[in-house]
Amino acid sequence: VSHELEQLRDAALADSAAATDEQTLETTRVRYLGRAGTISAWADRMKSLSKEERPIVGRLLNEARTAVAEAIQQNAERLRRAKETSELATIDISLPGTAAELGTLHPLTQMLDRGIGIFRRMGFALAEGPDVETEWHCFDALNTAPDHPARNEQDTFFLPDGRVLRTHTSTVQIRTMESARPPIRVIAPGAAYRRDEVDATHSAQFHQIEGLYVDEGVSVADLKGTLEFFLRELFGPDSQVRFRPHYFPFTEPSFEIDVKSTALKGGEKWLEVCGCGMVHPAVFEEVNKRRKDEAYDPEKWSGFAFGLGMDRLAMILFGIPDIRMFAQNDLRFLRQFA
Amino acid sequence: MKFSVNWLREFVELPSRVEELAELLTLAGIETEGIEKRGANFDKVVVAQITASSPHPNADRLSVCQVDDGSGQTRQIVCGAKNYKVGDKVPLALPGAVLASNLKIKASKLRGVESEGMLCSGKELALSEESDGLLILAPEAKIGAPIGSLFPEDAIMDVEITPNRGDLLSHFGLAREIAALGGSSRCDDRGRRSAPSLPLESKGGGSVRISAPRDCPFYSARRIENVTVGPSPNWLRAKLESIGQRSINNIVDITNFVMLEMGQPLHAFDADKLTGGINVRSAQEGETFLALDGKTYSLGADDLVIADDARTVGIAGVMGGEDTGVTEGTRNILLESAYFRPGSVRRTARRLSLPSDSSYRFERGVDPAMILPASQRATELIRELAAGSPSPETVTAGELPAPPRDISLRYARCDRLIGLPVPRERVDQILTGFGLKQAHHGEKETSWNIPSYRSDLQREPDLIEEVVRVFGIDHVPVSDRSRFTPSRDADRIHDLETELRFKLKALGLNEARTSKLIPRNSPAFNEDAIALRNPLSEDHVALRPSLIGGLLDVLERNIRAGAESVAVFELGRVFVPPEGKERRRLAFVFWGRTNTEVHWKAQKRTFDFFDAKGAIEEVIGRKLSFRRSQHRNLALAAEIWTEDQIRDHIGLAGQLTASLTSKIGATGGVFVAEVNPDFPIGPISSERTFREFGKFPAVTRDIAMIVPEALTHEEILNEVFRVNEPLLERVDFFDLFSGKNAASLGAGKKSLAYTLTYRDKNRTLTNDEIAVVHAKIRERLQRELGVELRE
Repeated sequence: VSHELEQLRDAALADSAAATDEQTLETTRVRYLGRAGTISAWADRMKSLSKEERPIVGRLLNEARTAVAEAIQQNAERLRRAKETSELATIDISLPGTAAELGTLHPLTQMLDRGIGIFRRMGFALAEGPDVETEWHCFDALNTAPDHPARNEQDTFFLPDGRVLRTHTSTVQIRTMESARPPIRVIAPGAAYRRDEVDATHSAQFHQIEGLYVDEGVSVADLKGTLEFFLRELFGPDSQVRFRPHYFPFTEPSFEIDVKSTALKGGEKWLEVCGCGMVHPAVFEEVNKRRKDEAYDPEKWSGFAFGLGMDRLAMILFGIPDIRMFAQNDLRFLRQFA
Repeated sequence: MKFSVNWLREFVELPSRVEELAELLTLAGIETEGIEKRGANFDKVVVAQITASSPHPNADRLSVCQVDDGSGQTRQIVCGAKNYKVGDKVPLALPGAVLASNLKIKASKLRGVESEGMLCSGKELALSEESDGLLILAPEAKIGAPIGSLFPEDAIMDVEITPNRGDLLSHFGLAREIAALGGSSRCDDRGRRSAPSLPLESKGGGSVRISAPRDCPFYSARRIENVTVGPSPNWLRAKLESIGQRSINNIVDITNFVMLEMGQPLHAFDADKLTGGINVRSAQEGETFLALDGKTYSLGADDLVIADDARTVGIAGVMGGEDTGVTEGTRNILLESAYFRPGSVRRTARRLSLPSDSSYRFERGVDPAMILPASQRATELIRELAAGSPSPETVTAGELPAPPRDISLRYARCDRLIGLPVPRERVDQILTGFGLKQAHHGEKETSWNIPSYRSDLQREPDLIEEVVRVFGIDHVPVSDRSRFTPSRDADRIHDLETELRFKLKALGLNEARTSKLIPRNSPAFNEDAIALRNPLSEDHVALRPSLIGGLLDVLERNIRAGAESVAVFELGRVFVPPEGKERRRLAFVFWGRTNTEVHWKAQKRTFDFFDAKGAIEEVIGRKLSFRRSQHRNLALAAEIWTEDQIRDHIGLAGQLTASLTSKIGATGGVFVAEVNPDFPIGPISSERTFREFGKFPAVTRDIAMIVPEALTHEEILNEVFRVNEPLLERVDFFDLFSGKNAASLGAGKKSLAYTLTYRDKNRTLTNDEIAVVHAKIRERLQRELGVELRE
């Protein structure tokens, strides 16, 4: 009996292994394990066996059933995988991907964000002020009285009511000190305007990051440390930074900063990128007058201020040849900065 | 200002290379913007005179010249130029000369005719970039003289003088600064020497009167008689021309020369055209004046003028008058040297848009101590070069402005501001080098006398700056001290803006940044923009009241450039008329295909209104309602309202009118939107808080209905929610069947389909429960809106 059962099992296993499609395998399963299947039929034959034989055959039967069922299941899995794989094998995976397209951020936005990010790491908070300003905020408060030779009204846009479009973001220095007491550590990204002939390097509207740090004992060394750090973060650790004395009415001493970096196009030349200096005591005094207090006592507080030309920095860093491209927003231009 | 290095060298020893000098100045804050090398220093190139010229026998284009080279023998030269005549003096390169671009000259035969050298153009001597024939020399050039004697080598530096340093606007002034910067020995002060033969006497009062002492504290005039007005000698012309000044006549040239040398502007009047004495006064309101430039200017009471007994003869410090200028026929002159208040000169020069070399210097403050020496120097030169007989005295009025106030410098303050201790002796040495004198020397603090020409030194930091300039900022260490800084409102706004930009980028939109200044003929959406009072070009005449106009320009530009899909946004400030309040706005323009790139599986469709609406809903993050509205530029217009803002809408969306669309050059619909993103400012808000999600399964039921075309989705939705059913979690709209396709539904009907999701947070809902609730909603729609429900 047992021999017969083993033969049946082996036949079933062989059939199952030989099946090349799921249909045949299913037929095999039905033939052996189906209700009327040849293995199932043994359950009926058990009744005719002797008491002694029954448990032995019963065990053999169970083993055979389990072995065949498992084999069929494994073969079913094998056939499914084979089918799946052969179906997917026809796909040309070199076809282009189909992700939804991302948009782009304007290169100036990216430049401003990079600048802001570096200053924030150095503990600067943000400040802002209006583009349309009073003459007082734009000039007088910044130690540039009406007859001052640096008060360049020729290059200033006026509104009919006498207000001006700020010619520099330094107005935010004044706005910030008017409303907050020292210490102050802020940067102010924003637009400024110059009434000037427009060409590849000059536009009527340009963008700056203004900075102001007022604290006890702020020195030229702090100014130098801050801006050198900023420029090396931006242009790479190997870039050279040079400070040159300069003149601005609202800082004393004043400097311009040049950068040279071989990583840049035209990197052999010094490129002027920033104006800066130590806040002039006359600026503090003018703010005090407006505040009607002595919050910014020049004997107690000192500070530095700077203005970075962000259009120019973006042009240098991204190799953009013409400043007017920023305002034209040609998609062929914008999408290069994706 | 342009400086001649040779001229500077007359006063001070300079580094041998001009580049070194430029570097020294630049690093001391006097930026050299350009260096131009001049002169012709060539061996064996001499002045020659053409004595005869005949055509070349074998070549039409050539001539055969006989020239006198000063050697006593006539030379024959073959020449290709045509711009000369017999008698002209020209440069002659003798055999053996090596010219610019390494051209070697030797005697040779040209088309069979002997040529013993070459007549030169300016280009061949590196004197000019272009060549237009032979360089014709001045008639007085000495035959046989080396060409280098006529064109001595020089370098012209273009130097940016900052507005505080009027004292550097002269060769003597810059030389004095170079000496102080430690580059060289002391500066030769001969500019101030007066010739012993010419006593300097000044006489107060008399023929000079100052009626406006505030704007003119001091005025001097010297009469010089019997001058011979004529061309300037070569050396003077060459000097002026080397730095770009035109030579006019000897008298005018001398006044310009002294200004460029010593920094004091001078003016010479034709004395015979003056009536009576000089009066320095304010102009009469509305008076007109014909200036030397031939233009008539209208003056006001704010303007300072020089007048005689009869009329105005000059705008003080700005420009003299046409009627009283020095001409060929002038015999006697009156030489003016004065101090005019910088603010007054500046105001007048700006108001009249009449900047001059003179006003440029007066605006920046001239050196009071140089006024009389400059007059003296000019007088000497006029005597020498124009045979004038100076009057023994200079008539003066008023008093020279007081020298600048003393300034105290605290050594500790200096160290603290620089961030580095500078030895006291070094500080003293630097300041002394600039001509400052110790008024009172102390351990901690020294008080300094400021020289008359340094009126820019007014306070302690001004002195500290001089210390830094010479000490060198390179020696200042870098410090990296920082400070913890609490965030401000602007930080929060910036972060929200950044988040918004990144969301829009993720939606596939491209950020544009358009000009806040808009052009004269800007398209729609810029009505009522605030115009600038003084625009410079037609492109920038007003402040944008909206972002849409600028984005439509962007659209137009991109369509012209061949774009097939434009989806752009801008986040920026606008200026709301009439006061120009600055407000943040976010705007969009959508046009064309929804995909920029050809995409092999993508659905091909074009942008529509719901792309604009969707973008706004996605980024504003609040429940919005779009309500039909009217707008002159929009065929389809919707106001955008928020639930919590009941007073006014926050924006506008729609489709451009066909006429505007075709004006832009677009085919198909152009969709625009603009909203006020209205960032919440204040303490950290808790908008983002965790909400428990349902643990028990949700059940969905669909509702399909036929409704009149006019009934809106929003009305249906409101009706559904009016039931206020707590088990209803969400309602999703999933199908629309309308327009021509829905004709089978009957005229003016459309079909809508929704999925309603029900859930209880504490248990699994039964079918019966849901059937009751769902039926309630269905009934309400039928009863209240009269919809026809479909099974």
